[in-house]
Amino acid sequence: MLKMTDVSKIYRTDTVETHALREFSLTVDEGEFVSVTGPSGSGKTTFLNIAGLLEEMTSGTYELDGRDISKLNDRERSRVRNEKIGFIFQSFNLIPELNIFDNVDVPLRYRGLNAAERKRRIEESLDMVGLASRLKHQPAQLSGGQQQRVAIARALAGEPRFLLADEPTGNLDTHMADSVLDLLSEINSNGVTIIMVTHELTLADRAKRNIFVRDGQVTDAAPEFLRAANG
Amino acid sequence: MFRYYLKLGALSIRANPALSALMVAAIAIGIGACMTIFTIQHMMGSNPIPHKSAQLRHVQMDSWSDANPYNDGANPPIQLTYTDARNLLAAEQAVRQIATFKSGRIVEPEDPDELPYTVSGRATSKDFFAMFDVPFKYGSAWDAAADLSEEFVVVISEPLNERMFGGEDSTGRRITMNGDTFRIVGVLDTWSPVVKFYDLNNNPHEPVEDTFFPFSTAMANEYGNEGNTNCWKPPEGGDRAAFLNSECIWIQFWVEIPDQAAETQYMNYLDAYVEQQKELGRFPRPLDNRLPDVEEWMILNEVVDDDVSVLLGLAVLFLIVCLLNTIGLLLAKVMRRTKDISLRRALGASKASLFSQYIIEAGMIGVAGGLLGIGTTWLGLLGIRNLFNRFDFVEKLTHMDWSMTALAIVLAVVSALAAALYPTWRACQVTPASQLRIQ
Amino acid sequence: MEFGPIWRALLRNKGGAILIALQIAVTMAIMVNSIAIMQERATNMQRPSGMDEANTLTFASISFAADADLRATYINDLEMLRNTPGVINAVGTNSFPLRGGGWSMGLQTEPGEDMGGVGAAIYFGDEHMIETFDVELIDGENFSPEQVVFLDPDNFRWEPYVIVTEALAKTLFPDEEGSVVGKTAYINQNDPVQIIGVIDQLQAPWQGWDDVEHALFSPVKRAEGFARYVVRTEPGMRDELLPQLEEMLASADKTRLIRGAQTFDEVREGAYLGDSAMIKILGFVITLLTIITGLGIVGLASFNVSRRTRQIGIRRALGATKPAIMRYFMLENFMISSVGVIVGGALAIGLNIFMVETFALTPMAWWVVPVAMIILWLVGQAAVAGPARRATRIAPSIATRSG
Repeated sequence: MLKMTDVSKIYRTDTVETHALREFSLTVDEGEFVSVTGPSGSGKTTFLNIAGLLEEMTSGTYELDGRDISKLNDRERSRVRNEKIGFIFQSFNLIPELNIFDNVDVPLRYRGLNAAERKRRIEESLDMVGLASRLKHQPAQLSGGQQQRVAIARALAGEPRFLLADEPTGNLDTHMADSVLDLLSEINSNGVTIIMVTHELTLADRAKRNIFVRDGQVTDAAPEFLRAANG
Repeated sequence: MFRYYLKLGALSIRANPALSALMVAAIAIGIGACMTIFTIQHMMGSNPIPHKSAQLRHVQMDSWSDANPYNDGANPPIQLTYTDARNLLAAEQAVRQIATFKSGRIVEPEDPDELPYTVSGRATSKDFFAMFDVPFKYGSAWDAAADLSEEFVVVISEPLNERMFGGEDSTGRRITMNGDTFRIVGVLDTWSPVVKFYDLNNNPHEPVEDTFFPFSTAMANEYGNEGNTNCWKPPEGGDRAAFLNSECIWIQFWVEIPDQAAETQYMNYLDAYVEQQKELGRFPRPLDNRLPDVEEWMILNEVVDDDVSVLLGLAVLFLIVCLLNTIGLLLAKVMRRTKDISLRRALGASKASLFSQYIIEAGMIGVAGGLLGIGTTWLGLLGIRNLFNRFDFVEKLTHMDWSMTALAIVLAVVSALAAALYPTWRACQVTPASQLRIQ
Repeated sequence: MEFGPIWRALLRNKGGAILIALQIAVTMAIMVNSIAIMQERATNMQRPSGMDEANTLTFASISFAADADLRATYINDLEMLRNTPGVINAVGTNSFPLRGGGWSMGLQTEPGEDMGGVGAAIYFGDEHMIETFDVELIDGENFSPEQVVFLDPDNFRWEPYVIVTEALAKTLFPDEEGSVVGKTAYINQNDPVQIIGVIDQLQAPWQGWDDVEHALFSPVKRAEGFARYVVRTEPGMRDELLPQLEEMLASADKTRLIRGAQTFDEVREGAYLGDSAMIKILGFVITLLTIITGLGIVGLASFNVSRRTRQIGIRRALGATKPAIMRYFMLENFMISSVGVIVGGALAIGLNIFMVETFALTPMAWWVVPVAMIILWLVGQAAVAGPARRATRIAPSIATRSG
């Protein structure tokens, strides 16, 4: 499903060169629910950006769904993001001027689906997150947990093979966080591959596999002190 | 997708009402300034007889002084002497030819209780009307016999016919002017060329004359010239005969030249004529005959006022300021929305789709600016009309026709799109990941 | 708060700043050239015609009857006019300053053809012209009644005496330090005319003419079909007398028309209509332009303030005072404006040189550029003041809020 081999990412400014990822290699199989944890600055966000085709890597190879991603141009990368990947962000990133329906509609528009098909998918995915009755609400009228559910619906509406979640519960209280994680597990059980980046190890435990990133590389397991500190 | 972008544009415009209003206003004002002046310039210099202007030629011959050439030798004199006008008219070497000058008249009404009044007048030949496609409401031009035998016949304008006869068919009726009684042979239909091209001596935009009578009649009865008279050497004597024989120029002379062959033929005739006159001791300057057509004639006579050209230049700069203003504001808007752009990129929008989105939004602002620009142009023209309300002709120059209206909108949209290019390019540079992590 | 850091911050975020600077530069180019043109026109309009404009009126008499006794009408008219209470004097002439139409001739100091000559406007009239036109005879004397003749339309010739304006005398005889009275000039190439008097100043009928101060009086009464009367009244009597005189002449002789009655104020208004319209249009243009540029600065500055909210909060948390925040934005705007007005100054001068060459305008006065600079600096500062004040109200606590 996802196969990164020796991926490096170097950020250059006039004076500094930062190695965010160093020969990072990772394979994720279809249907997995993988958590990625690591301390601040470890490179987990960079990993997420590259995995989600939001950034280009400096070197290495990246295959997604059997396809080599590194040679695609902007239009093709946009297409892959749009069709194969769903994003869930810590801060929800709903568009404040658009109502719930239109927010979920955004990626479907870029896919060029017809109106009936878009409507079907929007209603279905909102139904799945339990917000079918809020189509005409504005994001600001919803609670944080509800907003994140809308964001998940938006990610699901495109029927992606692959869901990338970046601290999906970071802005939520424990109760809401639990329900969002339940939802993710349910989605995973429907066959969608999920990679979730988080610094909270308790969350990471909800995944089937834990990856730990440190200094831009995958290490086998989390050091004990971190586990202890978090848990 | 186009409708989706329209919707996004509308949302975005509504989300920043003050900023959007400022942009629309800036474009509308810039367009208004440009189009106001451009309309006037366009009308001032517009070809009044486009279908035929290339065939209508003013005759220019260099009859001027060798020591002090006319216009420093840049072009031959812009009028003819009476001697040359009479000779060219008699030679009949073109399909049609006319000699003409302006001569105001005083109408003496038949009713003795009614006060006399002045009317504008023009001495010309019968071909004037056919040559310049002058429309008749009643009657027609006078015939060749009237020209030959110096008859008192007159063609009057529609407004004068309205004033004297209440708009009735007045052909055959009499009109007394300066003691001479004329027979009306024709009444013009509405004829108001924006540029009075056949005589650009004084105000090139004044209305056409109220009365037209034979050149021969005017000469025989010693009608005075109301246009310009220029002399490079004094008449040899103090009476009218001496003036008519002098080198003073005061007559406009037009010929109709249907094609290239006719032009060559007429040029040859003019050259031969001047050579012949040189033998008589006239035309001290080198041979320089010209046959400018109506458009060339208007340029030579500078019918577009310099002030209008200056204002047009400033108005274009004004529009540039308004556009720079719009670019700055659009850029601010894009920068404020980097998060939205970044998110859309993450959700699969390509650079091309973002480009379309922002260009369409700018286009909407352009259309709004253009529509409002029609209003500001109209206000601008109204303002100009009020500044010059002493002059009726300004009415004609401040008329905004369909082509100008369409141009206003096109100019607004093109300007807005041009202004949007840089901000949109910047929008496309926003990376998908950059703005998503920070709330 | 120093120039250095602000300047470097600007360089790192050039787009918006360059746009404002450019906008100010083009605004400046328009403003400078508009002011230059307005100033040129205003100067033209302030030139004196030489007449007692506040108390002068004019109208024309047009005779149309074939058998009219033109001389009798002329003599009668003037006698009536001069005898009307409130009228100081009146004259029949062919034209007057600012009329826009008239007669000019070349004058030369030696007879002969092809000499070129000095252009001068001719005013025909009798010995009453000096008082009617309210000009001062500074040398020599006025025409005597014997020198004044009626024009003979069948045998026109130049009368041998003229009174010239001082400007014309100086151009004709540039090296003469004493009196020019008694000197002879040649009109119409060969006709001698003797200067018998010099008047201080009187414009030619065409205000846009290069030789507008060149005028002369010729002692000829032109009783043709068309006579133009100029009447000078006692102060304050003009408006009252205008309809009265018009009516008087019209009813005295029905074989002619009285037309074109107007006060000299109206004559002046008509003569300078184009110039005064140009001044109004340009004044309107630069006002509008300044407002647009100002609003553009307000818009961009507001945007910058809201974009930098967090940065400003951090600065405040680190101890920056409100005036310091205010100063930051004011100084930033001052720098952008300075770049704008310097580029604008160059643009303005370039445009002026172009316009002077293309449209024969007068080169602008030196002070226009600095004046426009100061105006635009002030506009910039005024425009940025509002957003800058809003910036000072940002709470330092913003800095501690997450995200």
